[in-house]
Amino acid sequence: MRQFLTVVAFTLLTIGFFAAYSNYGIPQIEPAPPPKDEKLDLGSMTMDQFVALGERVFSGKGTCTLCHNALGRAPALENITEVASKRLEDPRYEGAAETVEAYLIESLVEPSVFVVTGFGKKGTNDKESPMPDVSGGGIGLSEAEIAAITAYLQDKSGGEITVEIPSGIENKADEETEEGEPREAINDPEALMVKFTCNACHMIDGKGGDAGPNLSRIGAMRDRTYLRRALLDPNADVAKGFEPDTMPPDLGEQMYAAELETLLNFLAGLK
Amino acid sequence: MNGFRPVKIGMTVAIFGLLVSLVSLALPGFEQSAVYAAEPAADAAPSFLYEPAPKLTAADYPTVAGVNSRVVVWVFAQLHLWFAAFVLAVPIFVFIIEVIGMRTRDKRYDDMAYEFIKVSITAYSLTAILGGGLVFSLILFYPHLFTYLSTIFSESMFYYALLFFAESAVLYIYYYGWHWLQGGFKKWVHLTLGLVLNAVGTTLMLLANAWLTFMMSPAGVDAAGVFSGDEWAAVHNFLWNPINLHRFVANIAYGGSIVGAYAAFKFLTAGTRQERAHYDWMGYNANFIAICALLPLPFAGYYLAAEIYAYSQQMGITLMGGIFAWLFIIQAVLIGTLFLSANYYLWCGMGRSDGAKRYTKYIKYIAIVLVGAFLVWFTPHTLVLTNEELKALGGPHHKILGPLGIMPAKNTAVNVMIIFTALSFMFYRRSNKVAVVSWEKAGNAIQVALFSAGLLNIIFLGVYHGYFTNTVYKVAASIPQVLTTLVIIVASITLDSFIYRGAQEVGPLRWGRIPERAQYALFLLAVAFTWLMGLMGYIRSGIRQHWHVVDIMRDASSEAFTPTLGYAANVVSVAAIIFMALVIFIFWIAQVSSAKTLPAGYWKE
Amino acid sequence: MKIPRLLQAVLVLAGVYFGFIIVFDVILGAVIPASLLAMYMFFTTAGVFMVFTYDEDQTRELVAPIKALVEDPSKRLWRNIVFAIVPLAAGGFTYVQMQPSFEAPLELRTIHPAPPSTAKIYGKRVNLLKLENPLRKIEKEDPEKFRELVNQGAAVYIQNCQYCHGDKLDGNGLYAAGLNPTPLNFQDVGTIAQLQESYLFWRISTGGPGLPKEAAPWISSMPVWQNFLKEDEIWKVILYLYDYTGHRPRSWEHE
Repeated sequence: MRQFLTVVAFTLLTIGFFAAYSNYGIPQIEPAPPPKDEKLDLGSMTMDQFVALGERVFSGKGTCTLCHNALGRAPALENITEVASKRLEDPRYEGAAETVEAYLIESLVEPSVFVVTGFGKKGTNDKESPMPDVSGGGIGLSEAEIAAITAYLQDKSGGEITVEIPSGIENKADEETEEGEPREAINDPEALMVKFTCNACHMIDGKGGDAGPNLSRIGAMRDRTYLRRALLDPNADVAKGFEPDTMPPDLGEQMYAAELETLLNFLAGLK
Repeated sequence: MNGFRPVKIGMTVAIFGLLVSLVSLALPGFEQSAVYAAEPAADAAPSFLYEPAPKLTAADYPTVAGVNSRVVVWVFAQLHLWFAAFVLAVPIFVFIIEVIGMRTRDKRYDDMAYEFIKVSITAYSLTAILGGGLVFSLILFYPHLFTYLSTIFSESMFYYALLFFAESAVLYIYYYGWHWLQGGFKKWVHLTLGLVLNAVGTTLMLLANAWLTFMMSPAGVDAAGVFSGDEWAAVHNFLWNPINLHRFVANIAYGGSIVGAYAAFKFLTAGTRQERAHYDWMGYNANFIAICALLPLPFAGYYLAAEIYAYSQQMGITLMGGIFAWLFIIQAVLIGTLFLSANYYLWCGMGRSDGAKRYTKYIKYIAIVLVGAFLVWFTPHTLVLTNEELKALGGPHHKILGPLGIMPAKNTAVNVMIIFTALSFMFYRRSNKVAVVSWEKAGNAIQVALFSAGLLNIIFLGVYHGYFTNTVYKVAASIPQVLTTLVIIVASITLDSFIYRGAQEVGPLRWGRIPERAQYALFLLAVAFTWLMGLMGYIRSGIRQHWHVVDIMRDASSEAFTPTLGYAANVVSVAAIIFMALVIFIFWIAQVSSAKTLPAGYWKE
Repeated sequence: MKIPRLLQAVLVLAGVYFGFIIVFDVILGAVIPASLLAMYMFFTTAGVFMVFTYDEDQTRELVAPIKALVEDPSKRLWRNIVFAIVPLAAGGFTYVQMQPSFEAPLELRTIHPAPPSTAKIYGKRVNLLKLENPLRKIEKEDPEKFRELVNQGAAVYIQNCQYCHGDKLDGNGLYAAGLNPTPLNFQDVGTIAQLQESYLFWRISTGGPGLPKEAAPWISSMPVWQNFLKEDEIWKVILYLYDYTGHRPRSWEHE
């Protein structure tokens, strides 16, 4: 019995030594907690994650980079914090915003309040912006996503981020931008035009922008082969009088094959 | 009494057959698997679409108030693993010992093999019970993970169940038929059964390994976790073979150390001189097995770590840098303990021979080198410094100790430790012999030259490639180091066997003449081994971080965080204490089974 | 005269202990950390114990004085003295250990934290696992141009880095003495020679504030260089660091 107890004591002592050494002999470093899934919980997001969300929305769902890119189809946003504070003092500015943040949000949802000289719709004398309201129509950003974009813009332009991460807002952000989640196919050509913001550049029956050719009677002028190529590889034939590299080149990747056919049928039917 | 055994075997077989048919009815996977096996997979695949890995939220994990679900699963898995390692390892060396017994016709070996397998029989049923506990707690606390894994591994899980019954059947025949299947042809039948037992047991381990390596390096599924239907691809994933090798070798070392502890316990409680002699001999053999498997183990571990790195650098850096870096310091302490106590046992054992005095004078030098190499191995890369020391050093970097903290120094140190352990062992084997060959002096000189040249080569490789060349050679230099070590061990053993051909014995080996302290070295070996396995289980699982299946199925439970080392050490310690208690219970049961009480006047005459 | 074995053991341990202190603190001029020395001594003691006790006779000789002290009636006086001293010594030791001191608490920074898999540098999210020095390939393609790049890197280093990291890249610049943690010594084999270039790029461009949580507290005074340098300047400086020290960046492919 004595031997048995000695053995037990010896075993416990050994295990105790190993445990004590692991607890007190070496530094206890707490591993970083698992990264938070952004879309699950807006409330516990850090500002970095929020900015990153803004960046994703900016180049993804928001389709902002279609025009706000190096080609200068829309005003550059690299220094937007600085530029915005000048805008606020511009005598032409008639909006309600008093801070950079408010100005940015206003420009996102009411683009025509202030149109930068030379960037307005043709013939409106810079009174009307070709930019759509990002909260409505085909883009449909939520309040949280708009705030995220604002934060991203402030961050990108080296400004102080004044946006607060919204809490309590019902967050439908991200549901569509989530990569890998298949999108429902769209059967309606009008809805497709909205979804891919074709009207921002192309005019059909008097509605739309003028950065691209008017499509009101395109079916009469071009055949389906041409139209298909124009959609898939916009720079193959650029219509006279228009700039190359204006139309997004990756429509073929964004659209489902069926959608492409729907759109082609629709365009070919415009006579 | 003799007639009883075949009846029992017949019953076992019958029960086995019954159970298999029951299982085939009860397991839903059976019919499905059978269908797959019968038809070409290409035809079956389109009709059966696999779903992607579920995206879980914290609400998907059932909780029981007051129970930490992860710790429950953790402890069950660890206990199951310890017992499984033990019961898989014991038949391996029981088989080897049986062969030795058959060749030498020394009945002591056969008796020892029987005693080993007797110890593992009780452990076997505990393995099954704990495995059941593990599955139950997994289904209870992680139902979605279990469902996902079982859709992918439905076939292998079925075969696992089947093989488990086969294992039981063979084990029972092997054990209960031991005394029946003796002599001539029958003995060969028995040996064949031992081989079958090992084949089945190893296959079981390989299957279970596939499930866990799938969680670390998933294969056979796409990025969303949709199973391709090819189960072999999922089984044969990137880390499967590295883990198989590492576990196979480690199991043998572990089994040896537990049996060693058993022998030590019996030695300490033995009443007679003969018993002491027997258990001393048994402890020596168990320790011998443990050391033999321990020597190549660092290399298997190194291979595993290199493969983890090759699979994913992210995982590799998590493993070797950052918080887990300190774990390897704890590991160094434990492996150092293993090496030191194994050597100590050998040195103590030299007292059994009257001729050992010729070699004991070298022991202190071996000890100096072992401890020295161990201190190098143990030196951490990041030192714990007080502010005063920081000021004195001018920063956290230490110009002398810093270079000792990186891999080349550690590789060199561990190779030196292995070589000197082999040297200890060589002295032990020589201690009772006197060479009679004429070239003994020359042979010894060659041995000295062999060891010196090998050590120089190892140190040169470590220092030169470790500190004066590109990093890629740093890693590459470890391979010639390992080869040098292996060459030294094999060459010195071969040479010694020639030098001591027909050697005289100094006197009979006095089994049982060994201090009791040496038995505690055997206990230390077993405890340190157990604890170390638990710790390394934590890191193997821990490098997955917050993933159930890496990059495919995320752990969304509240327990998804990686615990600190202290926390892990506490869980491992508690589990180790439970394990040790169960092991002591098993030892006790083995003792009770052979005890007889004669109650006077109880039975009517 | 033969030294008693117990005394031998004590002398060996004392010799090792003071040997460490003399070799490190006096001869080499680099103190040995107390925490490490404690563990070193623990295992040395284990080794000494093993060597002194593997043989039964020698063990008896070792413990004979202790046994005598406890059991021998003629040693009563000594026994009483020892029995008084031991508890007092234990009490004194405990008192010293528990005494509050003015020493600031230990800071256990990990100097070499695991890098995140991606980091945001220059407004871009870069994958640190795949990132490579874009200028490194020029080393083989055009050695002259590479030399030119290294020289440009040297210029960037002299203008920005040498004040702390030293003109010999040994971490011993003008301001080094005022900083804690001290600037890294690039000459040492344990620093940049262990790292991939992407790791350096990450550490230089995000500086002390960019350290991950496990490297807390963030007391490093390394600036966030992406705010001051251009991207290619950082890559050039990295070329210079390896070129001057003669180290090679860690890589997983044979060259």
